[in-house]
Amino acid sequence: MKLTTLFDKGEFVITGEVGPIKGAIHRDKSIEPTCAIEALQLHQHVHAVNVTDNQSAVMRLGSLAASVRLKTNGIEPVYQLTCRDRNRLALQSDLLTAYSLGIDNVLLLTGDHIQLGDHKEAKPVFDLDSVQLIDMAKGLKRGYDISGSRIENYLDMAFGAVVNPNSDPIELQIMKMRKKIDAGAQFFQTQAVYDVKIFEKFIKKVERFNCPIQVGIVVLKTPQMGRFMNKNISGIHVPDEWIDEIGSVGKEDYKKKAAEMAGRFIKKIKSMVQGVHIMPLGWTDIVPDILEHAQIKPANNKR
Amino acid sequence: MHATIQKPIGEIVKHIKSGEKVFVVGCNNCAWKCYSGGDDETKMMAKRLTDRGIEVTGYTAPGPKGMSLCKLDHTRKVLMEEHTDEVKKADSFLILGCGQGVHTVIDATDGGMVHPGCDTVFGGETVSDTHIEEYCSLCGDCIIEFTGGLCPITLCAKQLLNGPCGGAENGHCEVDEERPCGWILIYERLKKLGRLELLDPYQPAKKNSKWSRPRTLEVSPTEATFCSIGGKVTVSNQD
Repeated sequence: MKLTTLFDKGEFVITGEVGPIKGAIHRDKSIEPTCAIEALQLHQHVHAVNVTDNQSAVMRLGSLAASVRLKTNGIEPVYQLTCRDRNRLALQSDLLTAYSLGIDNVLLLTGDHIQLGDHKEAKPVFDLDSVQLIDMAKGLKRGYDISGSRIENYLDMAFGAVVNPNSDPIELQIMKMRKKIDAGAQFFQTQAVYDVKIFEKFIKKVERFNCPIQVGIVVLKTPQMGRFMNKNISGIHVPDEWIDEIGSVGKEDYKKKAAEMAGRFIKKIKSMVQGVHIMPLGWTDIVPDILEHAQIKPANNKR
Repeated sequence: MHATIQKPIGEIVKHIKSGEKVFVVGCNNCAWKCYSGGDDETKMMAKRLTDRGIEVTGYTAPGPKGMSLCKLDHTRKVLMEEHTDEVKKADSFLILGCGQGVHTVIDATDGGMVHPGCDTVFGGETVSDTHIEEYCSLCGDCIIEFTGGLCPITLCAKQLLNGPCGGAENGHCEVDEERPCGWILIYERLKKLGRLELLDPYQPAKKNSKWSRPRTLEVSPTEATFCSIGGKVTVSNQD
């Protein structure tokens, strides 16, 4: 099921996120990889689950294999595809493969740089940027590849894209967002946001695009994580209030507090957006709590 | 300019066999400006090799100052006519210059054995006598018309053509805190020039065939022909 169908119906779209394992899926089909187990926990509460593509440039199981595994388990995957590791041939081929294997949603993005990951001496590809990737994907939907050759059996998937509301100058992000929409992006998931005011300012500037936006939430698990992100993760800023609040409880209560804080934050901004993208970083079990605090009805999928 | 940096002496020496006689060749243009292969460094390299027990038959950085080693006819004349005996005695040539210079010596000596004495690091702007910065990637398909002359292929770590990624923070690149985000540089420059509209159009995927190596350029006073696997392009400088 394409997420665009839900947006069109006016549903508040909830997605989660899992990262493929660093290793292969077991040949014994009764043994699920961790990412599928996490996705199964999320399943009752979200509409779909993003599957990251060598996230942070750390080599892992392919996002397509993990996405297909989710689909087999009855979970709707959002297959993430980045430009970092593939040239235009591979990107198109992977898109056609994904569609052929039943994938309905793809998130098209640039990808973190090789230098952030565990293969620093690899050759960064970046043959296309994310706008060109979206434009190329739109071509495959209309029946031709990027070189202009006709293809048979066009793909039909929903195209998602990303935007970072924290970026400064924001005008440049918005220019790129507009280019992504022109190229064929149908919905957006934002980078992690922790500041209502910054987000509100951003939303006011992009309302005119009339394109569905899911606000990105990275669950703040510990004060250390907040400080780590501020120091090491570009494009995300965790305000001191967040770090202080999660640190105000004992370790045994971090999960409870993290759910409350994320939920409270979503509650404040849910009226500005068309959905939420929750990145629980392994704490998939607190997603129901987050939604409850946010006063959002869970997706309530049937298996 | 082709920016070069000498390889560590230990690495250079490691590749010279016992009893191998070496002739040292410098470059009086780019490598001179990089202190990696001018007259002084070439003479010094001859001494550094000799001090390490290597027989040096001779050395030269074909001059005058400003002369490029990669100018084949000149280099051939200097090596084969002015240093005939020393060149004849040499088993190999150690080149203190860029990779083009290394190949020029191969051509000038009719296929002599060569050792690169430098790493060729980039094509750069000599910002000051001691500081060189990279602004061009020599891609063969210049797209800086729409970026106010600043190249995103060179200045953006991800070579993005349609705007920045989401990773910049406080104006610096996600890859390196010391490095400004190329797209913010482009934006600030065009904003200052009142030309931000240049960023509006969609920039299509790059023609990488023009970047395929090796490439050739045939030149004449009236026209030039650039040849890559992307095809031949001939342009007049007269019409």
